[in-house]
Amino acid sequence: MAKKSFRDFLRNLEDAGEISRIKKIVDPREMSGLAAQNDKATIFEAIEGYPGWKTATALLSSRRRLAITLDCDEDKIAQTFEAASARQIEPELVKDAPCQEVVNTGDDVDLTSIPYPLMHVHDGGPYISGTFVVSKDAEYGRNAGSYRMMYRTPKETGIDLVSPSDMRFYYQRALDRGKPLPIAVAIGVHPFEMLAASYKAPIRTDELTLAGGLHGGPVPLVKCKTVDLEVPADAEIVLEGEILPTGWTADEGPFGEFSQISGDVKWNPVFRVKCITHRRDPIFYMLQMPWENDWLSAPVTEAAGLQALRVASVEPVAIRAPVGSCGYWTLIASIKKRPGEGKNALLALLSVAEVKLAIVTDEDIDINNPDDIDWALTFCVQADQDLVTLSGARGKHVDPSIRAWELGQGGLPLTAKLGIDATIPEGIPRWLYKRIQTYGKDRVRLEDYL
Amino acid sequence: MSALCKVIQAKLTETPMQFAEVVDDHLDVPWRHFLQAWGQLREEDILKRDDIGRYYIEGGAAEAIAAETKAE
Repeated sequence: MAKKSFRDFLRNLEDAGEISRIKKIVDPREMSGLAAQNDKATIFEAIEGYPGWKTATALLSSRRRLAITLDCDEDKIAQTFEAASARQIEPELVKDAPCQEVVNTGDDVDLTSIPYPLMHVHDGGPYISGTFVVSKDAEYGRNAGSYRMMYRTPKETGIDLVSPSDMRFYYQRALDRGKPLPIAVAIGVHPFEMLAASYKAPIRTDELTLAGGLHGGPVPLVKCKTVDLEVPADAEIVLEGEILPTGWTADEGPFGEFSQISGDVKWNPVFRVKCITHRRDPIFYMLQMPWENDWLSAPVTEAAGLQALRVASVEPVAIRAPVGSCGYWTLIASIKKRPGEGKNALLALLSVAEVKLAIVTDEDIDINNPDDIDWALTFCVQADQDLVTLSGARGKHVDPSIRAWELGQGGLPLTAKLGIDATIPEGIPRWLYKRIQTYGKDRVRLEDYL
Repeated sequence: MSALCKVIQAKLTETPMQFAEVVDDHLDVPWRHFLQAWGQLREEDILKRDDIGRYYIEGGAAEAIAAETKAE
């Protein structure tokens, strides 16, 4: 399968009837409010003060659009993502790149030339939310992740590096040497790149090889103009520059977080932009918070859960990271259980990233049906025997319950975790759980009597 | 410093404001001009934040109001 671009993806969504185009001229200050009222993804075709630019948003704000992206059924997203990302394909270097049709350096670098949107009422400034950020470390190699960027000046943004990540680690190593960390920020890349960037890959894993696996072919990369990095050649816009060696000293936020909470002011480093490249007719991608972030997180969390279960020799049947937990903090899985595996499964699921609630059921529970889960929680759980709690695990700042504001600048939070084994307990005869079955249902058809 | 920048500076010295409130005060200004003016204030390194994320500038009533917010 050939590598698809951001524009190919837009065409796919449009063919599926999932995009509406707004042709009237829109002020950038109106984009978020209009997109929030649209059930479909939105493309703003004419932006006041930004001739030649378009903005696309809410492209992945539903599980259906994610399934269209992965070309699978909605209940097979985790399995499809896991299988595709497992076959890692190295990227390839190309010379000519659409993302470098226009190159601005020196005095021509001006972030106000981008329709930088104000997204939420309590945001500390306009934000670029849908980024694919590439960095490199001499020892650990290339890394890609997604980090929000708050407008500060025409040449500087804040960059959110409060949470543990490979790039935070790279930045800390550069900071220890008193050096800046060069980065390149691609905006408007295919969702496969965004999914790969969301993936908690082990350090030394190049996320671009995961993206290649998802595409079924190599991601074409082009060398940046001013930093020793490579970016997806078919991106819409690229910001090149460096994170200054100032540490976590600049105010950043609040921002409408993927936790669906506004968050608070954080202390973060500053990204200084040295070069802006883009297509001649660029499409700015405004990742709609929290939904696009949450739906992007879900398959990544679910796939990590499937892998953790298999490593623990537990056979998964289905898995779900509900959007109510932002596709991130909760995992619900049904399993083919052997004695003791309800608890083993919990330990496995709680080892995934910052998952703080795990629920495990037997295979006959439909985990996509909240009523079925409630039934299992009610009749399979004894609170003094089937709960597992852990303290002092890695947490995430955006969860207010972990009191991250008490940590000070650059501090890393801890969290407690809860697992609920909602499988039928060992020692209780399964016949006690025999569900009601209506007598004669298979012999008669209602329509014959209406 | 641009005229718009001076207007925003005067207002933030008088009272702390959320960024969106500052934006709302200048909806008649082209977005790009507004961003440039905001960038100038940032470059002056005079913007402070209070506990609820509002911006203010020291030297006027805003500072005391912001401090009260901290105490709440």
